Amino acid sequence: MGGIKKEKKSSVSTSPCAQLRSAYHECFNRWYSEKFLKGQWDKEECVSEWQKYRACLSQHLEDKHLTRFLEAEAIYSSDQDDSGRPFTASDGRQ
Amino acid sequence: MVKAYTQEHIYKHPWERVTSAAWRKFTDPENKRTLSHILEVDTLNRKLDPQTGKFYTTRALTVHAPGPWFIRKIIGQEICHCVESTVVDARSRTMQLTTRNVSLRKFLEVEEKSWYEPHPENPVNWTVAKQETSIKIKPLSALASMAEKVEQKCAEKFLQNSVKGREVMERICKYLESESSGISL
Repeated sequence: MGGIKKEKKSSVSTSPCAQLRSAYHECFNRWYSEKFLKGQWDKEECVSEWQKYRACLSQHLEDKHLTRFLEAEAIYSSDQDDSGRPFTASDGRQ
Repeated sequence: MVKAYTQEHIYKHPWERVTSAAWRKFTDPENKRTLSHILEVDTLNRKLDPQTGKFYTTRALTVHAPGPWFIRKIIGQEICHCVESTVVDARSRTMQLTTRNVSLRKFLEVEEKSWYEPHPENPVNWTVAKQETSIKIKPLSALASMAEKVEQKCAEKFLQNSVKGREVMERICKYLESESSGISL
């Protein structure tokens, strides 16, 4: 019974983006603790890391899954609290 | 039928450190072995509102959620896709996360809400984490006849996983603490 089969996992795996992903995380973690938390939230950073990672994701995260995630997200953010305008699929790509 | 429960945990670390740890929980490779049920975490969207100091993120979580064999047989898979939406408000020092499953929704709906806030009695040094989880088996699904049992099983599994999650959080907090004291504050 145990573990999941490799093939199953790889069909949704985004591991081809792992390097870009960790580059983004590294930048993000630094920005979050050193700037954002200290009140420097006037501009978005790690933009190029984010764009590269995001471009890789849209290539590798199986299309139907990505679509499903984004659809779900749009539904949820519309019924969510005060958090303002909902995300759209294009937000990350500017 | 819905099963719901809440949990609370106090971190003896400042809110800034705890929320930094929360971001690293699923993404630092050191935690992979402890949190082996999390297979993939990818950021789908991020948005900073420079006017208000709020930061919004949406991530896709791929979770390995094996149930008892009879549930696996009905559902036919043990991978679940979830969406996690996070709002961090730097001004009011709150972090709020909501996670919902987007796959398997014809069988069950799980929603987990978490908050990280400064502890009211020691807002500078401590952080309180609250978590509300609700598990709902869809009434007409193939699982409905054993809904109560399934919800119970899910709840047990989730509780086990949140214990692991807290361990990881504490570990990262400690690490961040030593890191910051090394650099001098």
